[in-house]
Amino acid sequence: MKISIPWLKRFINFDHSASELAEILTMLGFESEVVTDFSSLKNIVVGEVESAEKHPNADKLKFCIVNDGEISHEVVCGAPNVAAGQKIVFAKVGAVLPGDFKIGKAKIRGVESNGMICSERELGISEEHDGIMVLDSSLKNGTNIADILGPMYDAIDIDITPDKAFALSHRGIAREIAAKLNKKLKNPLNSKRVIPDSSKKVKVVLDKKGGCPRYIAGVVKGVKVGPSPQWLLDYLKSVGQKSINNLVDISNFMLLEIGQPTHIFDLDKLSKQAIEVKWAKKGEKFDALDEETYTLDSDHLVITDSVNTVALAGIIGGKDSAVSDTTTNVLIESAYFDPIVVRKGSKKLNLLSEASRRFERGADPAAANDAFYMIVRLMQEIAGGELSSIVTDECALDLTPRKIVLSNKKLSQHAGFDIPANKVQNILSGLHIDCKSRGEGLISMDIADILSDTNKLQSMRIRTEFRPFMRNIVDHLYKIDKITRKDASSYRHRIRFGSKETLVELANTLKKEHSQDLPSEFVVKTTGKKNINNRDTQKWVCTIPSFRGDLVNESDLIEEVLRCYGYDNIDASYSFSSQMQYVEDEERPISKLKQYLSSVGFQQCYNNSLQDKSQIKHFGVKSVSVMNPSSDKMNALRTSLHQGLLNTLDFNYKNGSQNVLIYEQGTIFKNNGKKLEDIEQKNAFSCLVHGDFSAPNVHFDPIEGNFFLLKGLAEGIFNNLLKIKIKFVRESHPYCDTFYHIIDSKKSIVGSIGIINKGFLDKMDTSYKTDVCIMDIDTYRFKECSGYNIKAEDIILYPMVNRDLNFILDHDIELAQVCTAMKNVNQALLKEVVPVDIFESKELKNKKSVLFKLSFQDPKKTLEDNQVNSIITEIISLISKKFDAKLRDQ
Amino acid sequence: MDKTINEVKTSFHSDLKSCKTADDLEQVRIKYLGRKGKLTELFNQFASLSNKEKPKYGKTLNILKSDLNSSYNDKLNSLGLGKSETKDSKDFSLPGYALPKGNIHPLEQVTDEIKSIFKSIGFSVAYGPEIDDDYHNFEALNVPKHHPARDMQDTFFVDPNTVLRTHTSNVQIHLMENQDPPLRHICCGRVFRNEAVSYKSFCLFHQVEGLVINETSSFAEMKGTLEYFAKEMFGKDIKMRFRPSYFPFTEPSAEVDIWNEKLNQWMEILGCGMVNPNVLENVGYDSEKYQGFAFGMGIERIAMIKYGIRDIRLFYQNDKRFLEQF
Repeated sequence: MKISIPWLKRFINFDHSASELAEILTMLGFESEVVTDFSSLKNIVVGEVESAEKHPNADKLKFCIVNDGEISHEVVCGAPNVAAGQKIVFAKVGAVLPGDFKIGKAKIRGVESNGMICSERELGISEEHDGIMVLDSSLKNGTNIADILGPMYDAIDIDITPDKAFALSHRGIAREIAAKLNKKLKNPLNSKRVIPDSSKKVKVVLDKKGGCPRYIAGVVKGVKVGPSPQWLLDYLKSVGQKSINNLVDISNFMLLEIGQPTHIFDLDKLSKQAIEVKWAKKGEKFDALDEETYTLDSDHLVITDSVNTVALAGIIGGKDSAVSDTTTNVLIESAYFDPIVVRKGSKKLNLLSEASRRFERGADPAAANDAFYMIVRLMQEIAGGELSSIVTDECALDLTPRKIVLSNKKLSQHAGFDIPANKVQNILSGLHIDCKSRGEGLISMDIADILSDTNKLQSMRIRTEFRPFMRNIVDHLYKIDKITRKDASSYRHRIRFGSKETLVELANTLKKEHSQDLPSEFVVKTTGKKNINNRDTQKWVCTIPSFRGDLVNESDLIEEVLRCYGYDNIDASYSFSSQMQYVEDEERPISKLKQYLSSVGFQQCYNNSLQDKSQIKHFGVKSVSVMNPSSDKMNALRTSLHQGLLNTLDFNYKNGSQNVLIYEQGTIFKNNGKKLEDIEQKNAFSCLVHGDFSAPNVHFDPIEGNFFLLKGLAEGIFNNLLKIKIKFVRESHPYCDTFYHIIDSKKSIVGSIGIINKGFLDKMDTSYKTDVCIMDIDTYRFKECSGYNIKAEDIILYPMVNRDLNFILDHDIELAQVCTAMKNVNQALLKEVVPVDIFESKELKNKKSVLFKLSFQDPKKTLEDNQVNSIITEIISLISKKFDAKLRDQ
Repeated sequence: MDKTINEVKTSFHSDLKSCKTADDLEQVRIKYLGRKGKLTELFNQFASLSNKEKPKYGKTLNILKSDLNSSYNDKLNSLGLGKSETKDSKDFSLPGYALPKGNIHPLEQVTDEIKSIFKSIGFSVAYGPEIDDDYHNFEALNVPKHHPARDMQDTFFVDPNTVLRTHTSNVQIHLMENQDPPLRHICCGRVFRNEAVSYKSFCLFHQVEGLVINETSSFAEMKGTLEYFAKEMFGKDIKMRFRPSYFPFTEPSAEVDIWNEKLNQWMEILGCGMVNPNVLENVGYDSEKYQGFAFGMGIERIAMIKYGIRDIRLFYQNDKRFLEQF
């Protein structure tokens, strides 16, 4: 919200610059930015255009001579309205305009220009940029512009959080500054009652559901519509508000002045001099002031003249009843609408107005009255006319100020330090919160006594010090399992915020259902005399002003005290080590996996969880859709990490990187039904490889990043990182031709690897020269297995004996089977069998020659040659038989 | 044949023994190992042997050949004339092996760093669902339906009562529902906002949030905790400020800025506050007895400050040229 500094000065006197004010407000919880602070602008002065002639080389430019009070400058200007004799805003060479726009010497179409004649936009005053800003002709050349424009246009922009409805006006902000600077707030407008010259009355009927608990209406006759006076125009302009006519301007001014939205109807356009607030008919059409037609719903609250709908309550007025140039009689509305009703209504139509913004956050119900009379008085002053009806004030609201008790003990417990009592009182009274200090006097009372006497219970409502006592009872019942945690919570909630009735009700419930469980020893102890100076028992009874609807409980007051005390004045406490406890992080093991993959050359990716539904469907799992996607490319949640990884490959491939080794960990979603519980949200981990693992270089040939790279990684991850034994079991897969499950010794699937088939890549509109391979790792199993499997083994000191065996085998025989068969011959001594070379040639036809390396070791002694030889013999005969293999000649 | 082989062997070794210089050695090499040397002569003789004799002598000759070669090389080395000094020595100016370069994603690195700072002062790490019901994401956090505070977070809906979480605060509610105080946790993960995608906002981002609940943790302690964090993360000379703000789930609430020397301005890094008593009551904690604080920060924001990244979309594009920089 744009706040004008001169406007604030209607309410308080201060000398701070816009920048200083922005800083003060920011530190009070109103994040502010300077819009214009003329005191910070240098080298900008009042100038006089001595002559303005056509630019020699350009039709639209003018060549001007500008006098800055001392000397004359040659300036090129593009504005159509520049003319000799004007007083203008002149930025000299060296000036810096808002937005860090530096003015230097420039050559424009061959002519040198020394400085600039400014428009309002260039100065940050408004969006006006059709021409230069022309000043009052009486100003003296060379006057610093800060002295002229500062008092009119210095402004800041405040980002007001949704809880602070009280600050949505100049008075609201001025109140905060006054509290901080310890200044008195002025009352620039008179809100005293006006005596009407008629005894007629506007009939007002409120809706029955409480959508409009207060409506003030009155008629002013004989007004003259016309332009607003200069002072009003200046204020509106200072916050960028356009002037419409004097009547509309008054209403807008009131909104910005005290934050109360009002509406002015043309009385002669109403069917009757009556107001009926009611709920719209479903499908009803409403022509609004903004020239739009809205279709209303049955939960839209509307203002009618008992026949036609004339306004959408708290949001916008109707077109047909709006004031115009010919208006002479008006009906003024000043009301309080229910925040939720206004919010629902405006959300449904996607129609946000300055009025709805204030009502949905909670306007000041008491301000409705002030605003009404301020408007009547302003109208009389500016547009003439007389109040010609008795003012109707239909009010269903309890306007008795709310009282909240703030305990000093709780305040210091939450703050973590003690704030002097007089400081607390100063802060509260600065915020117009009346606070009466009082000590705590407790009266001895037996639980049974309380519960048997309803009168005492009622008095307990007033004596908030009984609340802790009631809470003790609730806690007691919770502890002895007589009520559930949820019940205890709701009871406590009612004690804190409850009305008289709920407290009595609560006590009765407790008595009825649990009387035998209530301890007789629950007696409130007397603390004796009141002791106001004791911090532990000191309390303030705070009376909350009507404009602070946001303050409803003790913690709201604690916030106010600390906010005004200044967060920066609070010393940090470092006493947290006393609460050290065991630190858990279930994801810790996975970081090992990521470190491993990244250290061998993989890039970790973060892909979007939101993907294109039409692409997701290729992955064959039912996805969860988003109701309100921001684009068709992001309308459902991913069902597999493969999608993002494939898109990442595609992106990098198209950007010239063919060698892609990537992985990602993230949540994938599966739609198993309509309810939230049916949505499976699973943590997944996938890798993808394409191209070379290691690029060709001067030292060695490229190493392909393929299925075997992933297989090797899987072995590294499970055998080496986790120390668990795995097997690869071939399975079928919807989009992988070659696909293996990785199975642990307990036969559970811990991961999988596969080669994505070409057809699938076609479907994704991609194609690659080499294989695209993927690997999944089950993160849940990974976490379970990590950290528990490492057991140190003794190192075998006896030598390892290596032997080579070269077999000629059928081409189709899987070597893993052959190795296993060899190993099974003597598992105790044969440590390892690995194929180290495979030779195929035309002469071998459909056979292959494979060289196996066998390593033998006896953990207890040095192996004898003949021992090894006999195992070898056994292996040769077994393999020859089982696989129809031939031992190759050495 | 056997005799000849033995003679060659004996004379070679004695010649080799008497070598004193590189020249001497070269003479020996030519005499025995050269193209017309004695070894070649022997192999020529071998060619004319009968098939019966061949296997036997083949083996012997091979052994001799390797013996001669290795003895020659040993001598070469012992005279300090190892390969490095000879003409075909390696070019050590060549680049090293091109080992693959892998990286942990920058957001993960920043998350890990934040996690480890908080772990070092006794915070556990918790995780929770990315799709959650309105209650856990909003209502339990003191954001009722039709409250203007809902405008602070543009929400993706799966159905009218199910949302893509807009913050990791839902994890706090799950935690508190399942555990009694004291609590000292951070929650981290992915959150979603229905905002227009641009250089400064994306449809998702990542958060780390903290929650401390016990009988004594105060605003002052929150300040201490977060100051400790900021100093660990950005350096001990970092200038920071706490300014009042508003979040429905905390009261009092604050935003924390750090001073950016380069840009000459304050930069917001996190939001925090004392847990609102309504939130404690909603999960069944006694708000008269328990109190505490919560805080939350966007990982992207911190990573962007830390690495000087200007476009948030780079984090999710996974351009190798980007990822390789971290």
